Amino acid sequence: MRRYLLNRLGQVVLTLIIYITLVYFLLQAMPGDITQMYLANPRIPQAAREELQKQLGLDQGVVMQYLNYLKNFFSGELGVSFSHYPRPVWDILMERLPRTFVLFLTAHVLSFYLGYLLGRIIAWRRGKVVDYAATVVGITFWTAFYPLLSLVLIWVFAYTLKLLPLNQFIEPRLWQGAPFPTNTVFGYMVYGGGAVAVGLFLVFYAFLRGLKRSRRNTARAWLSAFAIIAVALAVAWRTGLLVYIWDIASHMILPVCTLTLISFAGTMLLMRDSMLETVQEDYVMAARAKGLPDTIVRDRYAARTAMLPTVTSLVLSLASSMSGGLVTETMFSWPGLGQILFHSALANDYPLATGALAFTGVFLLIAHFVADILYAVLDPRITYAGQPAVEG
Amino acid sequence: MDTLLKLDDFTMHYRTKAGWVQAVDGVTLSLARGQALGLVGESGCGKTSVAMSIMKLLPYNSKVVRGRILFEDRDIYSMSDEEVRRMRWKGIAMIFQAAMNSLNPVYRVGNQIVEAIVTHEPETSEREARERVASLFELVGIPKERVDHYPHEYSGGMKQRAVIAMALACNPKLVIADEPTTALDVIVQDKILREIDQIRRKINMSMIYISHDVSVIAEVSDVVAVMYAGKLVEMGPADNVFKKPRHPYTCGLMMAYPSILGDKHELATIPGEPPNLLDPPAGCRFHPRCDRASVECREADPVWRAVAEGHYTACHNPVEITGTWSEAVKALNGGERLGASSNA
Amino acid sequence: MWKIRWKLTVRGLAQNWAVFRESRVGMLGVVIILLFGVFGALWPIMINTVWDPLVYHPVVGFDPMVLHPSPPTRAHLLGTDPIGRDILAQLMFSTGREFLLGVLSALITVVIGTVIGTVAAYYGGFTDTFFMRVADIMMLFPFIPLLVVVGSMVRLTFFPFAMILGVLGGFGGITIILKAQALSVKVRPYIDAARVAGGSSFHIIRAHIIPNVLPLSFLYMMFNVTSAILSEATLSFFGVLNIDMSWGMMIHTADVAGYLFDFGKYWWLWLPSGVAITLFCAAFYMVGRGLDEVVNPRLRKR
Repeated sequence: MRRYLLNRLGQVVLTLIIYITLVYFLLQAMPGDITQMYLANPRIPQAAREELQKQLGLDQGVVMQYLNYLKNFFSGELGVSFSHYPRPVWDILMERLPRTFVLFLTAHVLSFYLGYLLGRIIAWRRGKVVDYAATVVGITFWTAFYPLLSLVLIWVFAYTLKLLPLNQFIEPRLWQGAPFPTNTVFGYMVYGGGAVAVGLFLVFYAFLRGLKRSRRNTARAWLSAFAIIAVALAVAWRTGLLVYIWDIASHMILPVCTLTLISFAGTMLLMRDSMLETVQEDYVMAARAKGLPDTIVRDRYAARTAMLPTVTSLVLSLASSMSGGLVTETMFSWPGLGQILFHSALANDYPLATGALAFTGVFLLIAHFVADILYAVLDPRITYAGQPAVEG
Repeated sequence: MDTLLKLDDFTMHYRTKAGWVQAVDGVTLSLARGQALGLVGESGCGKTSVAMSIMKLLPYNSKVVRGRILFEDRDIYSMSDEEVRRMRWKGIAMIFQAAMNSLNPVYRVGNQIVEAIVTHEPETSEREARERVASLFELVGIPKERVDHYPHEYSGGMKQRAVIAMALACNPKLVIADEPTTALDVIVQDKILREIDQIRRKINMSMIYISHDVSVIAEVSDVVAVMYAGKLVEMGPADNVFKKPRHPYTCGLMMAYPSILGDKHELATIPGEPPNLLDPPAGCRFHPRCDRASVECREADPVWRAVAEGHYTACHNPVEITGTWSEAVKALNGGERLGASSNA
Repeated sequence: MWKIRWKLTVRGLAQNWAVFRESRVGMLGVVIILLFGVFGALWPIMINTVWDPLVYHPVVGFDPMVLHPSPPTRAHLLGTDPIGRDILAQLMFSTGREFLLGVLSALITVVIGTVIGTVAAYYGGFTDTFFMRVADIMMLFPFIPLLVVVGSMVRLTFFPFAMILGVLGGFGGITIILKAQALSVKVRPYIDAARVAGGSSFHIIRAHIIPNVLPLSFLYMMFNVTSAILSEATLSFFGVLNIDMSWGMMIHTADVAGYLFDFGKYWWLWLPSGVAITLFCAAFYMVGRGLDEVVNPRLRKR
């Protein structure tokens, strides 16, 4: 297990270096000497120009410049942003990263789960109206033009129905004179949410672990789950954080919905196809012969193995869904990596744009790594040593 | 005798693009408690369809045309889904043809058996079920510590044994073993067959063995039923059928397998191919391949009639064997009335 | 010889078509694509006969008779955009461009992907490892942000953009999928037979492996059309592409002029092009799903 992890980690670092190299040379290869272009730009303050000159080591050779860049990247020195002068790029990105992370993770977990649930239902009812309807609706969302989809959602829910805040991260009026800075509240949200999630997982694991599900245990599990959520809410309320947390959370709802809508169909359709194959397996027939209830045959037998390819494709589609995520962020003015990337690119803020691009890569790599481990956990046939399982 | 399972003129067809496949046609048989029935026939003759019909596990494109299947005097095809679900495994369990693939690859083997037990016996706790699985493993000869392994960590023979243990988990009244040992080598095959047979006698369970291999059936069955092209052609006590087969197809099938203990005889194949069940031949379905066929065979479907005590056949010109089977084989080889082509 | 081959090809296509027709979703896609085809083909006819190019030109047309943006009227069936151009004319004109862009970039992707996939599968070893690592890294690249950054530095025009999309896609995940398919072909006995018979590597790849990978390539081509058009629309929308007219550009025009804030009122500015993008992409995706049932027999009903 440890060797497997170390091996994977090594690969991740190597890929990261290659990725950053590519980003670097890609920008170097742009027509017209970029550095000259920026150095001659009158909008850029003199101090920033000197900073950039120093950072890029323009007086040295190409190789030295590149090595310099690598060294700077790994020591977190990404230079100073032009458009947010004089904030260092690293600072800006570190502030933005958790926001993107939270949005991305929530939307992904939701859309994966939704896709999995729907996929296994429509595979089980293949050829019925539900199957066709879900397929067509799913494809429509999957291929929807997502900037427009986000606009439609904003228009319906925020503008017309006034149910949710328009966009952005917070409601500025509410935060005037707030006792907490935004990022602190957001930090509490992330940690608190994480703790609640772990607590819920433990509760359900403890009560519903066995193969035999008694009604009493189910009731207990749900009661404890509600208790945990209630306690968390009470704590938030007592400390006066609740209203601020709700503000951030309600700003998250629409972007999360958009991201979920545009990506659930991928998982759903793949789950359907993959399950159409597993339902023909002998062990599904055997499970039915065992007299197991229909839902258990579907969930534990047909769907459980059918899920494996969907996890693989989740890994493969991380980058494209990241693209969608960044676009959605921009549409909702959610101040994450994506928004800063678009803004800096359009404002010709070169250090910030490359920094954001590199950070996106790092983020994706980590997501890749996690998904890989998830797959290994889900499929017992994969051994960590990387050797094929013993087959007698 | 106390009848456990009864098939009464059971007829089941599959709908395909090309038309209706008459997979099972007018099968009538009954099985007593504690009895072992062997169902033998070539591949594609409808043996597995019969097994699936008894389990009520037919695919969506199948249709029961007529007849009934009675398990403990209740018609399976008029039971509700829930009743059928409860009947499975507790009443009728099955050892699948592809035992290798009938274990879920991502669940521990023990859990798959425990699951069956706790589903059918809600009063059993998970711990008790686990203990029972351990003793079942002992019974079929798998080391107890293997309970919590995954299927891919088992050898082929072990998977087979695990599947057998799984079939016995709820003390079923009837176990259908569909080619239980085809994938194994002969030595292991023989051992497992004997073990199943011992267990069966010990707990007085009924069994249906399904195989294309006459020697497997001969070893473990009390009653033998021979199937050809979706129809039963002969059924009777194993001794009777194998010593004095009456239907030419049974003779042909027996000639096609070597007998280790009996006298040597030349192996003979049955000429021709099994018929296409989309459009089976009129009259006796075996007549195009039968050297005893007469005009009658071509026109009229032979009736299912008793030829001896408990011994039935459907043939217009049944074979008469006087003396022993091996003598008859010699005579047949010499006189070549039956298997025409022989190979050295 | 080629006559026989032609006959076989035709028969194979006919059989596949029969399977494909059973997929309702796939047929729906084909119908939508055909409708778009007719719609796009109407453009040259309309501009040369019915429409006055001065008024209806998609890029430089202007109608001095009405206030812009004008809601749908008899003269402008889908209204006009903020600078006085006819929406329907823009929509029709862009259809052909979208076909060109989607098919061109998908074709480049698939050609590169097929060649690399088969070569990697056939030679294995270093070639294989190299291209697979490249694909791994390409899969890490978030294309749209990358193209935004690139587009902010270079003005990307229509053809270079199609090329870039095609090439970036071609080295990515598609090679892994096609390589897996090519590997399953490579181990079949007739490849050995061809080698024993003295076929050169080039011949084996061209005559035996590629034909067996092509159906899958074709399937992925459909999915790539979808992603190419979506990328184009997104980037046009953000204004980083230097394309005079496309469906994404139409929404961009409305956005820049500020009309997207009053969304419901100025619906004709975004609805036609938005629906066109989604429908067009969905149609190609549906055809892909239908082809999936042809290529992957395990998905078929019977």
